[in-house]
Formats: sequence, C-alpha cells, structure tokens
Amino acid sequence: MTETVTFYIDGQAYQVAKGTNLVDAAKMHDIDIPVFCYHPKLKPVGMCRMCLVELGSLSVNRETGEVERDEHGEPVFRWFPRLQTACTQVVTDGLAVRTTTEAVVQGRNSILEFLLTSHPLDCPVCDKGGECPLQNLTMGYGPGESRFLIDDKIRLDKHVPLGELIYLDRERCIQCARCTRFCDEIVGDDVLAFHERGRRLQIVTISDPPFDTKFSGNTTDICPVGALTTADFRFGARPWELQEEATICPHCPVGCNLSAGTRLDRDAGGKKIIKRIMPRQNEWVNEIWICDKGRFGHHHTRAEGRLEQPMLKQNGAWVPIDWPAAYDLVAAKLRQYGDSLGVLAGPSLSNEDLWELRKLAGLVASEPKLGVWPAAMTGGDLVAQVGVGSGTMLRAVGPETAILVIASDFEEEAPIWWLQVKQAADRGAAVVVANARPTKLDRYARAVVRYRYGEAVSVLNGFAAQALKDKSLTGKLSESRVAGLSQLRAALKGVKPAFGDAGRMLLSAENLIIFAGGEGLSVAQHRELMQAAANLLILTGRAGRANSGLVAVWPGANMQGAYDLGYSAEATQALLDTPPRMWIIGAANPVAEDARAARAITGAEFVVATSLFMTPTSEAADLVLPRQSFAEREGTFTNGMRRVQRFYTVQGIIGDSLPDWKIFAAIGERLNGPKARISAGAVMKDITAHVPAYAQASYPRLAQVERQFPLVGGDDLYYGGTAYFNLSGLGLAIPPVAEDGSAQLEVRPVTVDAPASTDADLSLIPVRVLYDRDVLFEPSRLMHHRVPPPSVELNQADAERLGIADGDRVAVEGDGYQITATARVDGRAPAGYALLPVRLSSTPAPTTPAACTVRKIGE
Amino acid sequence: MLAEKYADRIEKIFSKYPDKRSAIMDLLYLAQEEYGWLSGDALEEVAALVDVDPTQAHSIAGFYTMYSEKPKGKYWFQVCTDLPCALRGADDFYQALCEYLGVEDGGTTEDGLFTVEQVMCLAACDRAPMMQCNFHYHENLDLDKVKALVEQLRQEAAAAQGE
Ligand code: SF4
Ligand code: SF4
Ligand code: FES
Ligand code: FES
Repeated sequence: MTETVTFYIDGQAYQVAKGTNLVDAAKMHDIDIPVFCYHPKLKPVGMCRMCLVELGSLSVNRETGEVERDEHGEPVFRWFPRLQTACTQVVTDGLAVRTTTEAVVQGRNSILEFLLTSHPLDCPVCDKGGECPLQNLTMGYGPGESRFLIDDKIRLDKHVPLGELIYLDRERCIQCARCTRFCDEIVGDDVLAFHERGRRLQIVTISDPPFDTKFSGNTTDICPVGALTTADFRFGARPWELQEEATICPHCPVGCNLSAGTRLDRDAGGKKIIKRIMPRQNEWVNEIWICDKGRFGHHHTRAEGRLEQPMLKQNGAWVPIDWPAAYDLVAAKLRQYGDSLGVLAGPSLSNEDLWELRKLAGLVASEPKLGVWPAAMTGGDLVAQVGVGSGTMLRAVGPETAILVIASDFEEEAPIWWLQVKQAADRGAAVVVANARPTKLDRYARAVVRYRYGEAVSVLNGFAAQALKDKSLTGKLSESRVAGLSQLRAALKGVKPAFGDAGRMLLSAENLIIFAGGEGLSVAQHRELMQAAANLLILTGRAGRANSGLVAVWPGANMQGAYDLGYSAEATQALLDTPPRMWIIGAANPVAEDARAARAITGAEFVVATSLFMTPTSEAADLVLPRQSFAEREGTFTNGMRRVQRFYTVQGIIGDSLPDWKIFAAIGERLNGPKARISAGAVMKDITAHVPAYAQASYPRLAQVERQFPLVGGDDLYYGGTAYFNLSGLGLAIPPVAEDGSAQLEVRPVTVDAPASTDADLSLIPVRVLYDRDVLFEPSRLMHHRVPPPSVELNQADAERLGIADGDRVAVEGDGYQITATARVDGRAPAGYALLPVRLSSTPAPTTPAACTVRKIGE
Repeated sequence: MLAEKYADRIEKIFSKYPDKRSAIMDLLYLAQEEYGWLSGDALEEVAALVDVDPTQAHSIAGFYTMYSEKPKGKYWFQVCTDLPCALRGADDFYQALCEYLGVEDGGTTEDGLFTVEQVMCLAACDRAPMMQCNFHYHENLDLDKVKALVEQLRQEAAAAQGE
C-alpha cells in the first residue's frame, strides 16, 4: 500500500499519497493552484512562476515532539518568508500551503501582468480564444488593466510553420516549454527546442522533415496559449461554435478515444461536419494523447468522391440504382450462389456490421466462410483465451512488468501503444524487442533479440524452455487445468534457450505482456507464433492476470472484434485457395492491396462491395453499395486489448449512404431472415445475447464513465490541456477466458518451419507503415507530405550485388505481381530480404512473405 | 568531416562525460573552431556525433552567445553593453566603434575582417568599457585604444595573407 500523508491547504487538513506533487494533490481535492508550465504528465520545471503559494510546515515543539496548538486547539504553522512555486513541491507529512492570502493574490497578479506585457492579445482572431488557459487565468487571477506602453510592445512573427502540420505564433508563446518537454519526455523525439533567450527566445525545429514526430498535434492541446495551432483547424472555427461528439479512431488497434468538434458548415453546404479531432481522455487507452494519423486522418468522412448511391455495373458502365433494387439483386444472387459464397470483412467494420454480415451469410450457407481483410495475422481466438486481464493499464506499469514486442514495427503499427511502452520503459519496465530488423523501439529496450524472418516462433519457444527450467514459475501447473501440458513439456525438452538474458528479464518480472505483430510471417506461421506466445503465458502462470497477457498488433481498428465474432484470416486463406463464385466484401480493398486476392475476386461471377469510394475493389465489383464512415453512424470497435468501445454519430450523412449493418440486415429480410433492428444499440443487444464474451457489452454499460485523473478540458484546461473530458464512455474490457480460475486452458507444441529456400533472389517481406495510402487515410491531403512514395528497402550487400543504389527506380517482381518502387538502402533490411511497405503502391503486391526479384529500371 | 579529422580529440572529449549527449558543447566549440561559425551542416554533424536531433544542437548554439550561427569576420568583437558597462559609457563606445568600422550593430566590415556585436555582462564590469576579441579580453577601452588594436589586427591579417 502506498503511504498516505496529511497536509494542509488554507488551514484544512487533507490526505494524499506520499510523494504526490503539490499541485496535483490540491487538484485531487478540487483546489486550484493555477499553473502554466506545470503539466501533470510532465516533470515539473518551475519556469513560469504562476503557481506561487505560501509554503509552511506544522510547528513542532522540539522538546516534546508534539504539534504546537493555538488557544483554539488549532495546529500552528511556520511559514517561509517568500512565495514558493507549488509545482516543484512534493507533499510531505505536515506540509502546509496558503493559496488565498494577499501575498499569493499579488504574486499571481504580477506574473500575469508580466506575461501580458509581451502578449499580442489578439484573442479575437486566435484559435485558442474561448479555451485558452491564459485567458481564463487572467480573468480569474489577473490585473484588470495594463500599465504597459503599447509602443514598447515587441512584435514577432505570427505564422511560423513548424513543418506542414503545426504553426507557431511567436508573439503568443509564453515560453513554458510544455511542447518541448512533451517531445523530449513523453515521445523521445527531441525535435523541438528553444532557440536564443530572453525576449528573443523562440520554439524551433530543424529536424528533417521539420517537427519530425508522429505525435506533433498533442503539443497544441497542452500549449497553454494559442502559440501552437494545427494546419487542419487554424482559422477553421471558434471553439464555442463547435459541438463535441464522442468517437473512436478507426485507424489502428489502439482504439484511441476521440472528440470530434463539429458544426454546421457553410463550406459543406450547411451540413454538420468535423472541423477538428481532439483526444478524448481515457486513461485505460490513450490517456490524453493521440497520434497525428488519428488527429488529421478524418477527411475521408467528407472527401470528394464519396459514393452517394448504390451503383450497378451494366455492360461495363456504372448506373445508379435505388436501395430496394440493390437489396433484391443481392438477395437473388445469394439464393443463386449461396453454396459458394465468400465474405471478406475489412478492419473498420464495427461489431454490429460484422454481426449482421455473419447473420446474412448464415441465411444461405450452413458454414459460411467469414474471412478478414487484411489477412496477414491471426490468433484472435487465442487473444480471447489469454489476452490481458481485467485492470490492465499500460500507463501505470513499471518495474514489476515485462513487455515483449515481437514481429512488429511498433511505432508504425500502433503509435500510442508505442508511446506508452516507451514510457513504461522509462519507468523501469523490462521492455524486450524481438524482430528480424531494427525498429525505433530498440532504443528503449532493455534487450533486443534478432532472429531471421520466419524464426520468430523459435524465440518464444526458447523463452518457454527457459521457463520450464524454473520450477518456481512452472511447477504448480496442473494437467487437469492445462490440456496438452505434457506434450508441450516433452516438445520443449530439446529446445535450447537462445536468448538467456532477454528471457531472464521477461520471466523475472511479475507480469508479462506480449505484443505480437505479424511481420515476416505467413498466416500459418502467425498462428504458430500466437500459440507459442499463449504457451509461454500459460506455462508461466501469467495468463489471466492484470497487466499480463497477449495482444495482437492488428492491421486495423476492429480485427479483434472480427475474431470475437467468428471471422478469421484462415477463412480468407481458404477462400483464396478455392475462390467462391460470389463475394461480399465489406469495407475492404483487397484488389488494390494483394495480387492473389485481386485474381480471386475478379474471377468471381458476382461481387458486391460496400465502400466509401470507387476503389479498385469497387471497380472490380458488380454492385457497389455506399457505406457510411465511422463519423455518420453509431457502432462499437473492440480494440487490440479487447476493450469494446462505442462511437457516436458525429456528422451529417453523405448522400444515401447507410451503415453496413443496416445494409446486410435489409438484404437478410429479403431472404426471410429476422426483421432488421432499428438501431446499432439493438444489434449490440443481439450480440450480448448470443456471444457470451460480450454479454456485458450493452450500449448503456459501454457509456459508463468514472472520474479520471488528471482533469482536463473545461475549467481544468489550464491544468491538463484541451483534451476532452470523457462523458460518453470508457468502454468495457472483456476479460480473457484464463481469468476464470476454473476455466480449461490449452497449450500445444508449435514447430518452426525453416524458411523455404527458393531460387528467387530475395524474400519479400511486407511491412506496415503508419502513413500509407489506405482508403481511410489517403483523402487527408494535408498528410501527403508524410506519406512516402512506394519504396522497397534492400540490404547493402544485396543492393551492391544487384547494382542498385539508394534512390534508384526498381521493379519488384514475383509470382503474379509486379510493382515499381524507389529503392532504399538504409541499413534496416537484413541480407536476403526486401522490405516492402504495404499500401503505398497503386498496384497490388503480396501481403504475406513471398519470393521476389528486384531489378533496376530506367527513369 | 570532424569525425575523421579530429578523431582523437573527439574521443578525448567523450571520455570526459558520463554520456555522449553531454559532450555537445565541447564539440560545438570544435566545429566553430574548424569552420569559423556553426552552419546548419556543422550543427548536423555535431548532432550526429552525440546522437541527438540537430534541433538540440541548434538550440544550444542559439542560447550561448559564444557560439555563432552566422558567418563571422576573422576578428569577432563582442562588446558588453549591459547595465554596469553602460553606466561607464559602453553604449557610446560601441556606437563610436561601429561608426569607425563603418558597420551597423551586429555587422561585418566589407573586407570580412571585423564583426561587432553587443553582449551581456562578461564579468569585467569594473574595467568597462570592455570587449572580447575572439574570446580574449580587452578592457578600459576608448576609441583610440580600439583604433590601435584594429590597425594592428589589419596588419596581422595582411601579413598572414602575404605568406
Ligand atoms: S509554444 Fe506553447 S507550449 Fe510551447 S513554450 Fe510556447 S507557450 Fe509553451
Ligand atoms: S494510435 Fe492508432 S487509434 Fe490512436 S490516434 Fe493513432 S491511429 Fe488512431
Ligand atoms: S512555475 Fe509552477 S507552474 Fe510554472
Ligand atoms: S556589465 Fe559589462 S562586464 Fe559586467
């Protein structure tokens, strides 16, 4: 238990955990000590002096050791003669502070007067106006008038681009260093700093590209003035005109909680549209941060080219049809081809969509093949068994927890998890990174394990073998609870632990979290990897505990939800092996992304796709149905940690588009299925009734909130920043099966296939990058500077052998695919491998490892 | 490149500090010595040596007045015009110096020999007016003294050129 201490604010006694920062301690008891430079997620620096208070301590009689008391029996305090900064003070027993005395009032008043001498006071045109800590604190604590001579005011640049995303107004900066400290401390990207000093001091960046971090937008939330603004929202609207709507980021498995600032916009014909995206506080998930993809990647919701009507291909031309005709057609085709139906579910379909799609397929096929897209990773069923336990909170883990990140370029695939794991490492968690090539997380890892592509499983087997040698870890397991235990023990007997140090770090901590990506693995190999991870967690008794368990770093927002509802990548593989005659493709673009899938789909007799835009996949379809983006409807996503989270309707509907679940339910009605539900909430009610794991996940339950710390937004925006206070739900973490002590668990020996040797030059390894050309991201034009051109990374030796230099145009070819790309020779690719970032090229390439040749081509 | 040319010196600098990053100031001096000033390229070079983003090198070079991020004349006059010096006429002295050299505040003479600049207290207030020339102190100055110094430096420079 943490020790609590008693301290006094304005004569009143309070209790707080020992070591708490004084400003935080006061805030926990709803007492404001105004601050500018202090931020509860950053280390204190005492730079702005706004937090001045009188500090003292209980007066103790030296002889008796007793607290001295006055005639009323009240304790007596001794006070320091001068004002002190509260933000640099830690609460100790008997500490006393006065926050309302004349001296304190004077102090605050003077600091504000001083800050305002060099402030432009252009609030009427400032984006921060209306939600500005400087405005608010000036109203609350500042002088009513200025004694400053306007002619002596310093004038500075007002539109300094710090890269293409963030603008600096030098006049408004109050030099609190929150932005630079965020970059240094929280992210570790030291790309923002002060230059010069005194009145000439300014924020600068000369990184390449400027302000080179995936988290730059967060600085605008914690900047206490309007000095930092985003290119997306600058001069876009006044904060008080915005209606904030709660939503969830659709881009990656972290599932960051977002707040969409919306208004009826003239430029959108009077429709309600998203003017900006801000983080919504969820300390279980993203805290008060989001990455720049989440913040700026919302333009697909209203970009040009959004489909507005069902479109039917007739003699090679697209003709609009109405919804009833579209439903009838799909129903008829389903009757015709029901026994040869393939379903592909994209990663941004909500649980409700997935449920209705599954029901629809079930109406015509007894065992429908429900595939996910992209089909590069699997094992969501294992996550359901041994996922992270209830109470898991990444932002709170420290030395008692070990974290293994394997087969993932973590920052590219799950930025906010990366940020949290990096900070966990800073707090002393043992972070081990295992991959076939260097990634950015290596910098913060206690140990880095290098293996050859295809051999990731053997690393985990090695750790498991090491665990078996330690009876204190694995001795208590019983065969009756864990099926397959003796087979696993036998299989691991001959395995030599190859990475002893890393293994010791992982096994000696109380908790173990494994983040497993899919890099360099086929679907079959990935299943083995996930099983090996599950084995390790079960063997060591870590499964089913808080801050322990398996997390899949999925390529999308709701792939865990898809697995929970019966979809899988294995089903996709089976469908691609024996292509069906009819496809239903929901919110996915396989034709653009994968050559093999493209062939399987274009060869079918009838293809119906739901889509936001005319993509290569819609082009290949016979009927395209306009779906709604996450912004126009309600739904739920299950994030990678199996937290089910609700998103709400944010903006006006585009054209006649409909949410996927409604489309599938309406078609089902025509096949004598049950009557369509009237709301997403009602669909979720069906899910809770039929899917035991989701039994508690009703909409009212998902909307529950609890008090979170630090406080943000509203009256507290001077403290935690402009991130949004969460009023709409923290979601529900689904406990893994292993958490039930009586549940039966299963382990299974896994084997490592040696990577097949081929005659081809190289093995192609698809890798994921955050900024890609995904349908949901490409329309956000302001991010285009950050999207790399199609490229392939080669090892130095391979490049020399092939006569290829960094920057050359090359052709990458293999069985059934060919793309052109720019060669990168930057030391990341291991010899014998070509790394191909996915979703950058407009021509399809493999999405799982394949053989390839690379050759230089002319300009 | 510094790394090749001064490998030993750099090694020695690193050995003085517990971590690489702390060596940045010494290495910035080294770069300034080598190139005369700290260009963007020089900042990048130093940043790469200590494994930080160039922004950090830029920040440090900007904070300390003894680093220069602008090309400088061969002789760099840094005149203290802080309050105590100002009380002893440093402002007038600086003005006169600029006029004599025919340059603006912060400027460099056309022959590229002299750069003048005002700086904060150099801890020689009792001997004001004072200045540094390439980090060497010249104290109790007046226009005549500085004229003599300028003359002498011109000759030195000419001699060096002649060689
Ligand atoms: S830009 Fe904002 S956050 Fe950064 S130092 Fe200035 S006031 Fe602080
Ligand atoms: S980390 Fe993932 S979920 Fe969070 S904002 Fe970025 S893309 Fe969205
Ligand atoms: S000095 Fe305490 S908040 Fe800035
Ligand atoms: S004020 Fe000029 S040297 Fe001190």
